[in-house]
Amino acid sequence: MLLSEQEARALTEKVLGYVKANDAVVNVGSEKYSHLRFAANAFTTSGARENTTVGVTVWIDKKRGSSSTNEIDDDSLRAAVAQAQDLARISPVDREYMPSLGPQVYKPVNGYAEATSNISLHDRARAINDVIANCEKAGVIGAGFHQARGSAGASATKNGNFSYERSSLVSLSTTARTPDGGSSGYFLRNHFDVAKLDVKRVSREAIRKALESRRPRTLEPGVYPAILEPQAVADLLSFFAFSFDARSADEGRSPFSLPGGKTKVGQQIFDERINIYSDPWNAELPGSQAAQAGIPAQRIQLVRNGVLENLTYSRFWAKQKDKQPTPGPVNSIIESSLSPVSLEDMIKATDRGILIGRFWYIRGVDPRIALQTGLTRDGIWYVEKGKIQYPVTNFRFNQSLMQLLAPGNVEMIGVPERVGSAEGQGGSSSLLPALKVKEFHFTSASEAV
Amino acid sequence: MSTSRRDFIKTASVAAGTVAISSALPSWISDVEMAEAAVAAAVDKNALADIALSTARKLGVTYADIRINRYRTESISTREKQVQNVSRSQNFGFGVRVLFKGTWGFASSREVTPEEVRRITRQAVDIARANSVYQRKRITMVPAPKVAATWKSGFEKDPFEVAIDDKIQFLLNLNERALKTNGVSFVNSSMGFVNEQKFYASTDGSRIDQYIIRANPNFNVTAVNRANGDFQSRNSLGGPQGLGYEYMEKYPWMAEAERAGEEAVAKLKAKPIEPGKYDLVLHPSHLWLTIHESVGHPTELDRSLWWEADYAGTSFLTRDKIGKLQFASKMVNFVADRTQPGALATVGYDDEGVPGQRWHLVKNGLFVDWQTTRDLALMSPRKKSYGCLHADSWGSISFPRMPNVSLQPSAGNTTMDDLVAGVEKGILIYGDGSYSIDQQRYNFQFGGQTFWEIKNGKVGGMVRDVAYQSRTTDFWNSCDGLGGQASYEIGGSFNDGKGEPGQSNAVSHGCPVARFRQVNVLNTAAK
Repeated sequence: MLLSEQEARALTEKVLGYVKANDAVVNVGSEKYSHLRFAANAFTTSGARENTTVGVTVWIDKKRGSSSTNEIDDDSLRAAVAQAQDLARISPVDREYMPSLGPQVYKPVNGYAEATSNISLHDRARAINDVIANCEKAGVIGAGFHQARGSAGASATKNGNFSYERSSLVSLSTTARTPDGGSSGYFLRNHFDVAKLDVKRVSREAIRKALESRRPRTLEPGVYPAILEPQAVADLLSFFAFSFDARSADEGRSPFSLPGGKTKVGQQIFDERINIYSDPWNAELPGSQAAQAGIPAQRIQLVRNGVLENLTYSRFWAKQKDKQPTPGPVNSIIESSLSPVSLEDMIKATDRGILIGRFWYIRGVDPRIALQTGLTRDGIWYVEKGKIQYPVTNFRFNQSLMQLLAPGNVEMIGVPERVGSAEGQGGSSSLLPALKVKEFHFTSASEAV
Repeated sequence: MSTSRRDFIKTASVAAGTVAISSALPSWISDVEMAEAAVAAAVDKNALADIALSTARKLGVTYADIRINRYRTESISTREKQVQNVSRSQNFGFGVRVLFKGTWGFASSREVTPEEVRRITRQAVDIARANSVYQRKRITMVPAPKVAATWKSGFEKDPFEVAIDDKIQFLLNLNERALKTNGVSFVNSSMGFVNEQKFYASTDGSRIDQYIIRANPNFNVTAVNRANGDFQSRNSLGGPQGLGYEYMEKYPWMAEAERAGEEAVAKLKAKPIEPGKYDLVLHPSHLWLTIHESVGHPTELDRSLWWEADYAGTSFLTRDKIGKLQFASKMVNFVADRTQPGALATVGYDDEGVPGQRWHLVKNGLFVDWQTTRDLALMSPRKKSYGCLHADSWGSISFPRMPNVSLQPSAGNTTMDDLVAGVEKGILIYGDGSYSIDQQRYNFQFGGQTFWEIKNGKVGGMVRDVAYQSRTTDFWNSCDGLGGQASYEIGGSFNDGKGEPGQSNAVSHGCPVARFRQVNVLNTAAK
């Protein structure tokens, strides 16, 4: 069972009661998780987990120690606190110590659905059976993953702060492959409310992509105009909003750094229609009420009309630089300043280009320009004269994210959709649009399907 | 901790309670260990296993197992002259896996009590039953022998017994050595240790206790040129090992940190690589990762059966290629090994009671076998499990994971110099860097930590911005030189991800220095 607010408060108070250190933060989290996985048109694994963890960080004369446990009887909790305190006693002074927060006021976020947390085994089995049946009917081999999580967590400080919130998440991904292994399609969506997860759309799109990817042609790698579907944008950019760290930029080791210890804040770094921000209360993508170290989350703008407006400051770095600590990001939203363009209209407006459904195995290569490498996967098509002409085989890319969004490279921006990174298995969420860009850098071909 | 001391605590805690003796021992050890001892005294794992297995049998399962596991972790991280974090964690719980009408069900909980074991076992069966209504292909397992055993990994010095302040001082000394070179701007260093205490019991009648220690040290040095905005990093070449604290004491960490500082600064001034075809001489600190991605993953049988199609992907190795595909040149032998001392995936038994084994995946360049588990075995040519089932937690369902997969050294005494001597135009690469490979494991790209030009058989100056791209079988068939045993080293990954929900696996890859001909090299800085 998830901890109620009353239970979480009692637990944090009990742990704080054991603390003899000058300062302390106690975090408790409870989780109810379940999944059903299928492959080769049959169920493979299915399971459930219930857990509660307690973490305590203490400071004794500004010396820090942490411990955590999932054994929450009184003796174990006392032992966890004693361990954190003993680690603090033998640690050097934490030069970045910031006193824990006093009482804060939080504006609640509605990101929890009871039906997600308590998902029905039978309903899920039936829903995934329907996905497999659709695959069989279409003559493709389906694999996929359905997961549901309910979480309840609280944070309390020795200086009197307390916050509690619940959240939930459900996701479904499906990969459809033709029996000859010659083509593949993928689709993933998630939501906090199981009632809003469109299971039929996920299976329909995965199957459609597999069928429309049959008999791909091979193109030479090189620089192509490209249309990135929201899933592909999520695979590349869902974590981008969390990389606007002021400290690394000030230290000269970030794509937002400038020579001489300066940063690019105030500069036009991206196309003038690009806005990147975080909003805890977005109805489609609720974030958390608490940002770093328990600061009440706020809407924060990172990029406005292509201009780098803010970098994010930790409490410590904000104090060093005489700034306010940043109340976020707690989610990631990219949207256009102008009217968005539909994916269909992007295709119609393309003389020559590549339509990309998703990316895979994306890893950083050069942090100076946020250069990433990775591959296309599960659906990629050649577009010419406003129409999809034929599927093509996969490419490896080496693409700078700074160049991707740079002025002159972004041609069209779509409607933001709730999507999660495929490598993150739908566990993260962002509101991201399709993008049409002038140049995308493919460096070699891959025969993988 | 010595057996006698642990036994003393266990006995004393049962007899006198935790408070009575805690003052007689150093407080930070005693409080924690007293709590552990109290829990250990309260938990009779065999009795709980009896409850789970008898409950599952009554509910009609064809197989069931219970894992009752405790995980202890310790983590220390520093930057420059300061400590950023010192933490320890405990995680304890159990998971029950059942096979009902050819359908898996799994449930788990942190409350290790008889009542909860009954409830969770019923839940696991409920999950399997609900899904079995729609199951299209029944899962079948090959049998495994009944085993009663205890097993301990081969560490010499339990890191959880080494004083924290010694570890802190070690990392701060390491940082100081890295910062010695003018031009080094930042250094981050850390060490982490994991202790798994695993209990397994199954309806086969097996009861197995295992105690495993792994070490994960790491550091990263960065040099920033403020004037032109350039920055370069150099990560440690030493990586995680299935060893205890003796690894921290025996590996030359301090000299390695000093060298890393010098090389991070040198990278700022290194010559950019000219893209093109080069012969590559790859040091084991680099090559382990290429082996992991291009040999370890494609030889997982579940991938070939499309069981991983939705996430990690399938494999270019299809079942018809066994015994036929020339995966690599004839000098190349890859061995999977769950018995290799000091390696991360070494265990006594896997998570379904199958003993650790050693077998060839690639023999004389030919692809000859898979990594298998009991529910994959019938689909493999030898119809046997090689013991590759693993779960990363009591709360995770076990599924196929990679054993240690290693490239065997040549029989002779070939050295790195010997391999370099045979190269006219090439690059020598140390350390693992950026890595990426497609979902069927054909096309890959790897970076590294340091790159050295080879000209006319001699190692020259440092070059930078290097990555190579190749196709797995082209690459391994271009291997024409392997170092001898003296050049063999073990590298590895502490957190290899796979599966849905994603799980982490620690796995090692040993290899000698090796040479590859005419590989495509990119300049990663070129736009």
